[in-house]
Parts: sequence; structure tokens; C-alpha cells
Amino acid sequence: MEPILELVDVRKSYGDFTAVSGVSMAVPPGSIFGLLGPNGAGKTTTIRMIMDIIAPDSGEVRFFGHPRTAKDLGRIGYLPEERGLYRKMTVVDQLLFLAEIRGLKSRDALPEIERWLERFELASWGKKKVEELSKGMQQKVQLIGTVLHKPDILILDEPFSGLDPLNQEMFREFLVESRRQGKSVLFSTHGMELAERMCDHICLISHGRAVLTGELSAIKRRLSGNSYRLVADGDLARLAQVPGVEQVLAQERSAKLLLAPDADGAAVLRQIVQFADVREFRSEEPELEEIFIKAVRDAA
Amino acid sequence: MQLDSIRVVAKREYLQRIKGKGFWIATLIIPLFLVAVTVLPSLLLAKAETRQKVVVVDSTGQAAGELQSALAKPSAPKAAKPDGERGRGGNTSFEPTVEPPGPDRAAQREDLDRRVRAGQIDAWIWVDPAGLAANHVEYHARNVSNFVTQEALRDSLSSAIRRVRLRQAGFDPERIGALTQPVDLDTVKIGKEGSRAEGGLAGFAFAYLLFMMLYMVIAIWGQQVMTGVLEEKGTRIVEVLVASVRPFDLLMGKLIGICCLGLTQIIIWFTTLIVVTAPGIVASIAFLPAGMHKPTVTFVLAINFAIFFVLGFFVFATLYAAIGASFNNVQEAQQVAAFVIFFLIAPLFLMFRIVNDPDSTLAVVASLIPPFTPLLMTLRIALQPPPLWQILLSYVLTLTFIWGMVWLAARIYRTGILMYGKKPTIQEIWRWVRYA
Repeated sequence: MEPILELVDVRKSYGDFTAVSGVSMAVPPGSIFGLLGPNGAGKTTTIRMIMDIIAPDSGEVRFFGHPRTAKDLGRIGYLPEERGLYRKMTVVDQLLFLAEIRGLKSRDALPEIERWLERFELASWGKKKVEELSKGMQQKVQLIGTVLHKPDILILDEPFSGLDPLNQEMFREFLVESRRQGKSVLFSTHGMELAERMCDHICLISHGRAVLTGELSAIKRRLSGNSYRLVADGDLARLAQVPGVEQVLAQERSAKLLLAPDADGAAVLRQIVQFADVREFRSEEPELEEIFIKAVRDAA
Repeated sequence: MQLDSIRVVAKREYLQRIKGKGFWIATLIIPLFLVAVTVLPSLLLAKAETRQKVVVVDSTGQAAGELQSALAKPSAPKAAKPDGERGRGGNTSFEPTVEPPGPDRAAQREDLDRRVRAGQIDAWIWVDPAGLAANHVEYHARNVSNFVTQEALRDSLSSAIRRVRLRQAGFDPERIGALTQPVDLDTVKIGKEGSRAEGGLAGFAFAYLLFMMLYMVIAIWGQQVMTGVLEEKGTRIVEVLVASVRPFDLLMGKLIGICCLGLTQIIIWFTTLIVVTAPGIVASIAFLPAGMHKPTVTFVLAINFAIFFVLGFFVFATLYAAIGASFNNVQEAQQVAAFVIFFLIAPLFLMFRIVNDPDSTLAVVASLIPPFTPLLMTLRIALQPPPLWQILLSYVLTLTFIWGMVWLAARIYRTGILMYGKKPTIQEIWRWVRYA
């Protein structure tokens, strides 16, 4: 299927500092795409280049199978990293303005606004000024502002940051529902758990480079042969020194081990039993968090 | 350029601000402030009319009567003339009493001083033969720095003493009045051309009115353009907006919206002013002295006045917009914004020279420089209509200037969006203009 949004070797430098060095990725239609990476990896810069807020030094942004045009941006709903609303405007006025600026008529937009405020539990806040709202509420208002014009693609920069678990769940449900309606969603986050629950595709950025990209399930399958769950008593701090062990994610009395590609699970286990009382040792699909940490470390 | 986007942005600016308290506070406060600085002082001055109790001691035995009657006249003759400057200061009147010279002069003088200090009298005047011969009359008062009072006093005393001397020289007191009658000066001003001198004042008044209106509207709303641009940058609203609106349209919409707001304010002020003062104006026109010209305002002048007001607003508002686009916070921007007012005030200094010679090269060139055009071209049209091509050229130049400034500001805005926390250098701003 032809990607609905595609980045081809996009680069951006600020003086000596390279913010993004050659990111390529493709968002298939009807999918949720996670742009993952640690702080300062270049996620926001990448999104701003997609949105034509900053121009890439080189590379290309393609929408719907052709190089980006100004008209394409009208089919996108964009939630910037820093939430921006007019503080003195009321919620309804604000949303009406955002709708009108995208070419909607106010008589069409008003019922939509009512519906969305209802859905995000803000119905009684419509007449309030934005500055009277909590941060989480403002974030919901802004999300409504991004979707009023019924965009085909949602591009959300850190949509979950600063939300309580209930609102996070509300946002998640909304994104999953958008996918069901055939829309594509691209969002950035450094919260792996949420990404793992929602994303069909990911692109992992570290130091401005895409270190891992593709379908999440395929990536997991590819790495599953080398991932083990260990439950044991003993000095688990020594696990990292065991030959063949590449990465340890230790928890209370258990650990996730990621082995080197050529390592043998049985040989590793024989080493561990020498200093720990092993109760359980089994092959397990890696969590996104492991993949993330390994990929970032490998890339460094 | 998309008219729809401009309209939506302008509508937001206008409605949001007219709903806000700031607009109504400014609309109310400014006329109150103007009244406070113009009307109140003159009211206070009028109230400040004082009657000074003056004791006259005349040891010559000849001047006291004349002095008393000269001082007791309702006001000094000069002050009665319709001469604004003098009239204002001449509000002092005297309440003279004549006291006979006592046997002990020194004791009497001390007693008079005591009475001045005690506040029973305000001043005393001492006339003695030696002094009179040497043209001296003594005036003792607590406050001798009010030269307006002194001048009125000197006039009164001089004329009184003159009468005394004339009488001493044997003139008939009846005839003295007729002989010393001052002449009236009928002033007739000769301008370069008859009509110009009269138009000069009206034109000047017109340009000055435009200046005051522009100054007020720009002082209030020009700053609002700047802070509005800064707000959108600061809160990152602009990131959402640039995906839907071109920066040029965004700025143009903002300027139009805020200009309409300024016009609304002016209309509110003028309507109020007309409603309040119309009866008075009608009445005063009816009672105008025959010789006085009614100020004439031609249709062409009125139209140009309105157009140049709007253009003038845009010229300065675009400068503010460009500054707002270049900086990241109000403090930094305000340092530069102070210079904008310079462009508004500078033509004021040229106005005087242009009134004298509206067709000089200086006048023509200066009135075609866009930031100066609104004031100076209005002035020239009021004085003596310049050739049509000059008026049209000034429109074209001013519109081009506005267009260019919005374009420039939009480019800076577009590129400056992603700069924060750093004061831009001129080189950087120039780079932003070329990029985008």
C-alpha cells in the first residue's frame, strides 16, 4: 500500500549542531505510527519539517504519494509540542476561530464543537476563558482544535505528556477510533508503554538518526529469539558480566535479558546458576522498552 | 493572499478586543485624561482670580486719588484686550485703600510690613516727593515674583502718575482723558497670497488634529499589534496557524482588525464630542464677530484626512508588527519600538517650514516619504492643494510601503517563529528575510 506520508532522507542542521541527519520513514494509511526517541533526539524537529514550519536542508516530505504542497497541509490536524491557545478567548470562540481559519462555516462548526466538548467532558467549560482551564483541559481543547476540520492525517507531538491516566486513556481511545475510521495517526512520545499498546509502526530516532523503523510486530518477532525472562534469587547485579548477555533490565527478583545474536541461551543459563538460585528461565517476546534502550545504546 | 483568511483573522482581532476591558478603559480614560490636562488647568486659572488688598500711602498729597481710581478699575486696560496671553495673567485685580502718611514714617512702614505678614493686606505702595521726582514708586508685597501682576500694576501707576504730572503742568483734567487716549491697533495680516495666510492656520490645525489622533491611536493600538504578534509567537499558536494561514495574511488580518478597532474608538469619541458640543458650536458660530472667518473644510480635504488617517495607522502599525516579529519578548521589542514614535514626531518639526512654503522642494520631498506622508500631505492639501499627481504618488508610495513592510514582517515572522530565547542580530534578521 502506498504510504500516506513519507520522509525521504530528511536532514536539518543548526550551525554545527545536526538535529536530524537523514531520517526516512513511511506512514501507511489507516495506521498508528509512533515516532519514538529520547529527549532531544530530533522528534520535534522532524515533525516541524513534516508540517513545513521549518525547511529541511535536504530530503523530501511526500504526502499522499506526491511531494508536499500547501494544500496537503489542510488535510492534516497538527498538535504542536508546545500547546498554543489564545489565553483570553473562551473555549468555544477559540475552537470556532480554529475551524473558520481552516475554511469551515461557523454554522457547521458550532454543532461539531458542541459534540467534541461533550465527548471530552468539557461541555460546561465552553464559555470559560482558556486561562481558567487546567493544563489537561487545555490540551483536550487543543486536540479538538486539531480535528474539527476532519483531517485525514493527525500529527501529534507528545500528545500524552502532562495528562493524567484517565485523560491518557481518553486520548488513546480517540486515536484508536481514528484509525478505525481509516485515518492515519503519527505521534511522538518517549513513553514506551503507551506506544507499545497502540502503534502499528514505529520509527525510533536517536541523535537525529532513525535507528529502527518498521512494523512493530515484525521488529518484535525479529528480536524475540534473543530475549529471555529470568526469575531468580541471588546477586542479580552480576548478570551484566555474564558472557553473551548484552542487556539486563533488572526488576525485583527477576530480569529481562537480551542476549547477543550469536549467544546460546543454555550456555548463559549454566553461567547464571553458579551465582543465583534460578526458578524460571524462558524465551519471551521483548518489550518495546528493551528494544528502545538497546537500539539507543547501540546507536550511541 | 487569501481574503477569507484575512477576514477571519481580522474578525477575531476585532471581536476579541472589543469584548475586552482594555478597549473600553482606553476609550473612556483617554478623553478624561485629555480633559484633565487641557480643561482643568484653565478652570483652575480662572478660579485663581485674586483680589489684592493694597494700601496706598502718598506723602506728596497729590497722587493718592489718581492711584486709587487707577487701581480700582475692574482690570488693567491691557488685560481687557482679547489678547489671550495677557488675559490669562491679568486675572489679578486690586482693592486699594488710601491711608494718610503718619507722623513717624519708619514706624508706619514697619506697621504696614506687619500687616502684610499677618495677611490683613497683600501689599502696600509708597509714594513720596523724592521718589516721584526720580520716577520711583515703592511696592512692598510678600510675593514680588509675579511679573504679570507687577506689569499690570506698573501700567496703572504710570498712567496715574502721568495724569498727576499733566495736571501739575496745568492741563485741564477733563481734557487729559481725551489727550492720553490710547490708540487701537487694527491688525491686518498680509500673507504671500491673500488666502494662504488664513489657510495656513486651518491647515496647521488640521494636520495637528491628524497628528493627535494618529498619535493616540498608535500609542494604544500600535503597541497592541506588537504584543499580539509576540503573544502568538510566545504561546506557539502560530505553529497551528501557519499550517492554515500564510503569515502575510495573518499579519494583514491582524492589522486590519486592530485598525477597525482604532476607528471604532475614534468614532465613539467624535460622536460623543459632537453630541456634547454641537449646541455650543452652533451657538458660537451664530455669534462669531463679523470679521472672523469660519474655518472652511473642503470635501477633498475631509476625504484625504480620512484616507491618510487609515494609511497613517497602517504605516506605523506595520512597523510595530515587524518589530514584534523580530523579537521574542515584550521587553526587548519595546526598546526598539520607542524609535517608531520618532517617525511620527519628526514631521512635526517640518510642519512649520511647510506652512511657510507648501510648494518648496523640501515640502514636496518630505511629503512623499511614506512615514511622513500622512501628516505632511494632509497639511499640504489643507494649505494649497498640490498637483494631483503628487497626491496620487503619495498614495501609491504609502501603499507600497505598507505592503512591503507587511511582506518583510511576514518573512521575519515565518522564519523567526522557531527562534527563542535569543535576541536576534541584524544579520540574522536579514538572513530570515532572504530565507523563508
